[in-house]
Amino acid sequence: MLVWFLPLFLLFLMLGLPVFFGMLAAPGIMLWLNGQERDIILLYRNVYNGMASFPLMAIPFFMLAGELMNKGGITMRLVEFSQAMMGHFRGGLAHVNVMSSMLFAGLSGSAVADTSALGSMLIPAMEKEGYSRKFAAAITAASSVIGPIIPPSGIMIIYAYVMGESVAALFLAGIVPGILVGVGLMIMIKLQADRYDFPVSRQKATWGERGDASLKAFFPLMTPVIIMGGILAGIFTPTEAAAVAVAYAIIIGMFVLKTLRPSDLPDVLMRAALTSATVLLLVGAAMAFKTVVSLSHTPEILAEFVLGLSDNPLILLFLINLLLFVVGMFLDAGPAIIILGPILGPIFVDLGVDPIHFAIIMSVNLTVGLATPPMGLVLFVASSVSGEKVETISRAILPFLAIEIVVIFLITFIPEISMTIPRITGFAE
Amino acid sequence: MAILLGILTPLQIFLDVVLRIGRWIAVAAIAIMVLAILVQVFFRYVLGNALPWPEELAIFLMLWMTGLIAPTAYRRGGFVALDIVTAALPTKAATVLSLILLVISGSVLFLFAQMGWGELNSLAGRFKSASLYYPTFSGWEKMPNSWQIMSFVLGLALLFIVNIELILRALVTIMGGQNRLRSTLDTELQAE
Repeated sequence: MLVWFLPLFLLFLMLGLPVFFGMLAAPGIMLWLNGQERDIILLYRNVYNGMASFPLMAIPFFMLAGELMNKGGITMRLVEFSQAMMGHFRGGLAHVNVMSSMLFAGLSGSAVADTSALGSMLIPAMEKEGYSRKFAAAITAASSVIGPIIPPSGIMIIYAYVMGESVAALFLAGIVPGILVGVGLMIMIKLQADRYDFPVSRQKATWGERGDASLKAFFPLMTPVIIMGGILAGIFTPTEAAAVAVAYAIIIGMFVLKTLRPSDLPDVLMRAALTSATVLLLVGAAMAFKTVVSLSHTPEILAEFVLGLSDNPLILLFLINLLLFVVGMFLDAGPAIIILGPILGPIFVDLGVDPIHFAIIMSVNLTVGLATPPMGLVLFVASSVSGEKVETISRAILPFLAIEIVVIFLITFIPEISMTIPRITGFAE
Repeated sequence: MAILLGILTPLQIFLDVVLRIGRWIAVAAIAIMVLAILVQVFFRYVLGNALPWPEELAIFLMLWMTGLIAPTAYRRGGFVALDIVTAALPTKAATVLSLILLVISGSVLFLFAQMGWGELNSLAGRFKSASLYYPTFSGWEKMPNSWQIMSFVLGLALLFIVNIELILRALVTIMGGQNRLRSTLDTELQAE
């Protein structure tokens, strides 16, 4: 009987009940109907205890660091650096867009932040050079999904916390898949550039110009080095690394680049607090939800059903790819990972899939879903930044989505892509 | 409708003031959280002396930040939800559905706030913090856990009040008074 909380939750979700309330209402109602009123207090306690966590504090800190870097004009430096390196290729600005997203991913863990920060700068610039606006918006949206894959990553912190995995291992496992998505997109740009005769952005930069651009981008580019270096060297925990990233962003913005003013801080702090409060509540609700998932034996029941479809893990992973892809079209990656992680994770770990590998499959799948029509969140952000219709961007993004789907399959069926770095560094077996 | 608007107006003014104060406390909280963790890193790695309190203080502040600013996020429509069904329905039917969903959300908030209140006065609330102290006339006292639990209870209570406001707005819309409602977001932004 208790297992009916899941269909009830999905019904609430489809009707439009906020995920936070759905994750508490559906299990609460089923516990009550099942005569387990006493267990309802467990939901309350798990939400509260789920939020009162030190590792979770990395979320507001990384969000704050991203906001500070955006406000401090660091994005501009990254674009200039990418342009000096790749601007001379045919389709140069499109390549610059992808490369900037890869660099930006090392500072922020959010696809939405990437689309709005880079899109507002690069879409008008690309249009001015002769690219169609729909193409510029599409490549901005497609490349923004790299944000939550290359570390630091908000959704990986959430997954690690909810599923009890190592944040550092997930961060490391995301590096190669993120680069693969970027390289895949650049290959597609190259193919399109040759076919449609894309413009060349600028003459090849001299080594002096490249050196100058590298120097200007040096401090922002050091952020991921400090974060990952500090974590891997055991100097600080991911949460402490995130706090250090905040201090670093303030120091660079205020004293090195001198683009951040003290009067900017309250607004930046408020936006980071607002966004992270909703995420923290969701994670708290996920911990309560997870309790009822265990109490109801949902993973065992679902595992029986899934194994009835096939006992070949490869076929099941393919089916999970499809499921996650569809979910990603309708739901933001964070909430989706919170809902599906506790349900799907145990099934696939029992089938022999490494938990870190499965986390990456989920993260990349759901993140690509953010750029997938009809409901992908970054499509709407790209639309509002560019002024192009969502339907038009949705058509223009299809070749890039095809590449991203190929990368998803590669990541799914070749575990070494994500597992090699964590294994080499001793964060995975 | 006049009665509904009569209740709604003072409620909105109350929420404008209280949530604004909450937002500024949350801003201070997140700033102090960063400082506390930086102090922790500095003392542990530079001075070789691990302090016991920064981590606990930062968690305390994170919970207060969440409790005080989450109601603003809810009021501004910042809680993640799908709008496939509501977007497909005619306006009136969509508002009725929203009203039903708000009643469900309100019930969850009421029940949880009630349970939270119970926890405040329970054994869990009477336990003392391991490393956080507050000054009294007779010296320093260890902080009771109820001070931390209070952040969540207050947050739930404020979310519940915001939920009442949203229910009243939905009722006014159903009765055809949509043009007599102010934009919550606009007013809040103007206030800052």
